[in-house]
Amino acid sequence: MADAACTAFAGKTPPRTWSRALLLTLPIVLWSLFMSMQGLMQHDRSLQIANALTAAFLIVLFFMMMKTSSTYRWRRWFFVALGVLFPIGFIHNVMVLRGSMGIPLEEMIAGRTPFCFLPIPLLILPAALTKTLVFPGSLLPGGGMSGAGMAAMAGLWLAITLVVGKGWCSYACFFGGIEEGMAALPKKAQWKKLDPRLRLVPWAVLLAMVLLSLALFEPAYCMWLCPFKAVSEYVAARNTVGMVQNGIFVVLFAALVVVLPLLTKKRTQCTFLCPFGAFQSIFNKTSVFDIKIDRTVCSPCMLCQKSCPTMSLSDESIKKGETLMSCMKCGACVDACPKGAAVWHIRGTQVAVKPERARLMFLYAAWAVAAMFGGSIITQGLATILQRVI
Amino acid sequence: MKWPTSKLGYTVAGMTVLAAVLVPFLLMGLFTKGFTKLGLHVDEMYGGGPTVRTIRADGYTVTIHREVYPHLLQTEKPFVQLDWKPVSALPQHISDAVDVDGDGQQDVRVSFDVPKDPKAPLRVDVEALNPRYQAMRNVGKGKFSELIVRVDDAILVRVPLTGQ
Amino acid sequence: MGGPFLFGEAFLLGLASGPACVASCGPVVVPSLLAEGAGWRLNARYLTSFLGTRFLGYLLFAAVAWELGVLVSPPPAARTLIYGGIHVLLGVALLWYARSIGRGCAHACAGSGLVSIGRVGKRSVPGAAVLGLLTGVSLCPPFVAAGLRAAQLGSIAAALLFFAVFFVATTLWFVPFVGLGCVQRNASVIFVARTAMVLVALYYFLAGIAMLAGRRIYG
Repeated sequence: MADAACTAFAGKTPPRTWSRALLLTLPIVLWSLFMSMQGLMQHDRSLQIANALTAAFLIVLFFMMMKTSSTYRWRRWFFVALGVLFPIGFIHNVMVLRGSMGIPLEEMIAGRTPFCFLPIPLLILPAALTKTLVFPGSLLPGGGMSGAGMAAMAGLWLAITLVVGKGWCSYACFFGGIEEGMAALPKKAQWKKLDPRLRLVPWAVLLAMVLLSLALFEPAYCMWLCPFKAVSEYVAARNTVGMVQNGIFVVLFAALVVVLPLLTKKRTQCTFLCPFGAFQSIFNKTSVFDIKIDRTVCSPCMLCQKSCPTMSLSDESIKKGETLMSCMKCGACVDACPKGAAVWHIRGTQVAVKPERARLMFLYAAWAVAAMFGGSIITQGLATILQRVI
Repeated sequence: MKWPTSKLGYTVAGMTVLAAVLVPFLLMGLFTKGFTKLGLHVDEMYGGGPTVRTIRADGYTVTIHREVYPHLLQTEKPFVQLDWKPVSALPQHISDAVDVDGDGQQDVRVSFDVPKDPKAPLRVDVEALNPRYQAMRNVGKGKFSELIVRVDDAILVRVPLTGQ
Repeated sequence: MGGPFLFGEAFLLGLASGPACVASCGPVVVPSLLAEGAGWRLNARYLTSFLGTRFLGYLLFAAVAWELGVLVSPPPAARTLIYGGIHVLLGVALLWYARSIGRGCAHACAGSGLVSIGRVGKRSVPGAAVLGLLTGVSLCPPFVAAGLRAAQLGSIAAALLFFAVFFVATTLWFVPFVGLGCVQRNASVIFVARTAMVLVALYYFLAGIAMLAGRRIYG
């Protein structure tokens, strides 16, 4: 019996006892409660309940990550909740304020277009060359849907990126959860053979969109290719071209966020389109946390490659003992590896020596930002639903 | 003294965890302030440019903005924005001759109806009394450089420049 | 009037317009340069071919417009038609270029010649030349600004010379692109460059059709 248990978890961190898991969860309990304190003191009952539920949700998920010593499936619950509840809260606000998901020209002129993180790489060159932000928002809070303003979103993005690097795509992006949820639904993938070159398309999209944005002085990706316009907002069509643009958004959403994840069990929008994801990949080079493959233990069975939702493990990279730049640090490969060869790692340290320590340190950092940022979005979405119910 | 790389790695990892805690209290605010201090501004094609002068009329004002010239690559025309506010004080029909450049001569005559319904579409006619400005006939809100829209309690008209 | 002061003006206008030229040609030049082989010499040949035919396009258009008397201000309708037509042709050329790279780069991406997209007699036509010609005849704002000034000169020879000096000044801003030759070329880089070209081509194609159909693209 003991031998069987040892074999089952060969090289992998075994599940923890309840007490040990609780102890490790304690910092997150304190952090989550602290983050929800302000919300809990609100007079709005639905906001109070939403805050409490969100804090409990995040604490339970982290506890399960500690108890089971696996990461991916628990993180996925958080991420799917974020992806589903963000549009609910956002679209509700948009409908209350404007009565429509379409952004009218008046709102763009008034600087009340909300700014999400996706256009950040497109704005860099025009801003660097002309000090102009080619986005119809407000630098500071401008009222309406402008939220805290472009400077605040950029500041938040930079702060979180410094902490988690491309882990943004697993712990902060409020769009990726939809396709992650879709990919989780089927038991098996119908399409297993995917051309690995398609992984490079986001870089091509990034290059093309950066150049077009500079040439046209507009956020070209937002105007032409962003599939998430379908679940947030879009420029209200004033002519045929506008209708074509909106049609493109809907088609891309249906294809890359709904249908292809169902068929492939991959995050196809992230893997095959998102230019922001390509841009964030650069920060994987600066992040201290990464995932390595211990080649002394690896078979190779390629289960890590099959389980990776973004095709970030190629045959060559596995031979080298590392992931590709596009790794989102979701933990799927680590959890899938039967030998414990895929491990969390801190740069500069030896591979597979105390990998659980690396995992813990990363998770504390990532969950802290997830609770702060994603947690507040989940709370808003929940509160929106509760307001209808209570 | 040479630190082993593993100690350095753990140190940086520890600092990263600390940084995560500092995000809402320090880092986000710091970076936000940093971005505001870069001297960036939203493209005037959207915002209409800073105000230059205000003309007082009968219970309302006409604010004139600085001329906005598109960056050489933008396809929009250069324009000047004029704001009539407050909308609540405007008569049912506006037909104002405006001295845009402040030289004492009227440059454009702007005519539009002010509907009671704030969501009703607006249309404007502009007669160009100065060839610097482009005439407009029954224009709505087709382009950033040539439009009439209602934004909050003001009606904005953008008159393109001819380049003469 | 004229002489060094005039051409100094052309040179300064060109220098000031250079960044705009680079930015407007960027979506065409950068992916196609990256899709060519590595090495600064090959990239310099690309730029020479591109800029050479761009120069030809400039002069050709200036000469025709002068003769038609429309160099000062081409009628808006004609301008939209020309701009739209050029956009469509640019889209087609970029797609053809991307396809030609795919055919030539089956095994080795370090060819010694420029990517060719056709033949005239026995000579192959470098894609760079076609792209350069099309960007040269497009009525981009720096070109229009130079045209307005050149139109005020007394003769077509002076106007063409003004354009030539203007062009040389804008060309200086393209020189740093030779540095792209240092970017390592492998199958991944070529794939990214080709795909970017296709995306840019699709934009130009759609934008061109919209202009020809008289529809506005808001920006």
